[in-house]
Amino acid sequence: MFGLFKKNKSFTAKLADYDQEFIVEPGDSLLTGALKAGLPWPKRCQVGSCGTCKCKIIDGKTRAEIDFSYVLSPDELNDGYALACQTSLKSDISVAVNLID
Amino acid sequence: MKTFYVNVRYLIVPVMTVLTICGLFLGGIYAWTGVFLFGLNIILDTATKNIHLRADFDENGNSFGIKTFQYIVMYLMLPIFIVLQCTLGWNLYQFTTSSAVTIESLIGAILSTGLWAGLGIIYGHELSHNKKEGFSVSRAVMALSGASHFTYAHVYQHHLELGHQNDPATAPRGRNVYWHTWLSHFGQSKFSFDLEKQKLERHNKSFFSLDNKWILGYLYSLPSITLFVWSGGIIGIVALVVVWSISNFLLEALNFMGHYGLIREAGKPVEHRHSWDNDNLFTSWFFIEIGRQGDHHVRGETYFWELDEVGAPNYEIGYFTLFLLTLIPPFFRKYTQKYLDEWDNNQASVAERQIAKDYYEDTKHLSNNILVA
Ligand code: FES
Repeated sequence: MFGLFKKNKSFTAKLADYDQEFIVEPGDSLLTGALKAGLPWPKRCQVGSCGTCKCKIIDGKTRAEIDFSYVLSPDELNDGYALACQTSLKSDISVAVNLID
Repeated sequence: MKTFYVNVRYLIVPVMTVLTICGLFLGGIYAWTGVFLFGLNIILDTATKNIHLRADFDENGNSFGIKTFQYIVMYLMLPIFIVLQCTLGWNLYQFTTSSAVTIESLIGAILSTGLWAGLGIIYGHELSHNKKEGFSVSRAVMALSGASHFTYAHVYQHHLELGHQNDPATAPRGRNVYWHTWLSHFGQSKFSFDLEKQKLERHNKSFFSLDNKWILGYLYSLPSITLFVWSGGIIGIVALVVVWSISNFLLEALNFMGHYGLIREAGKPVEHRHSWDNDNLFTSWFFIEIGRQGDHHVRGETYFWELDEVGAPNYEIGYFTLFLLTLIPPFFRKYTQKYLDEWDNNQASVAERQIAKDYYEDTKHLSNNILVA
């Protein structure tokens, strides 16, 4: 029922265009996992309000921790876009993002 | 042992809120318990103003905070605050239907409830940043004070616009806390209204929809309104206005103290220097580290027990002590001026310093101690 009782399991996120992958620890967001792995993932507010960390989930199951519809358009939502700072993983995933050069 | 200490120290508000509820039950002089505790907190905060601790991590860098425990406490604060309001409702009912509650006791109960409902925003704030369930609990806690719009405005506006004139929760230099309370409260509500309007338009939905979180937020406050009207009639309405006024004043006073006078150029990243830290021992424990604003605004998804000192500007006194000063605006401005001067000269970017300089020249307000623009 509550997020605090969720199972403790790490998942792997594979970066579609970069041939890289990283582990997302239980309780961490996709963005936190990427930052812990030292990836230059774009970010700004880290609370789900600016859209800077936007990415596209290509494969796998995720959970939106907040309502994305304030930041993402209906088309983006339909196309599987997500805000990495407010996304947790429910399985291994494949994700597309433009890392900072 | 360390784990126990790190987690238990954040229980001051839950314990004191329960004591306040007990006082309301007992009535008489005990109904003033919440007011007494608030006063005691000012003394404790001032007495510990020079004690500043860091966040606690073990040798592997893991926090001692137990997430499950802290979340259970935060979620439990919702029913505790509901019981607080119901107990005041019971006092109102006794007052209007019998002579069991005196007017002195009722006034104490109303003031105590207002002060502790206001302090409940500590949890409304923390949970606004955490997960869907926590977000809903945050909305419910804030709705008890008629301020459910806060949750959306805080996340989608304050965290984005902080330090800029687009953020109603940031008080510019020269503004006092009373005026700020009105401007910030209605500014945030207006933002939440516009946010919903735009979202619903984008999704081709009517403004009058069950998806409209601005409307829903105010509907969540209906049980409180019903309770007060039913239990106290006209007196109940007066009590509700007093409780909501005090609690919203405390909420906005926290916003006021957290960012007063700090400046950020539009579009530039939020950095540690854009928030005031208030992190002496009592403020840190009582306000579950909400005073570590510098770190919080840069790492918004970080749990409160992991927030740390990051070199943000610091008033060097706790929230309770500073709150007393905000009540007398000339004192507050006099106290904060040297910290603002220090910020302008040593922390502000060139552009931010210029904005501050322009402000002083435009308003002839206070002293202009900026050394170089
Ligand atoms: S960093 Fe702003 S939405 Fe994720």
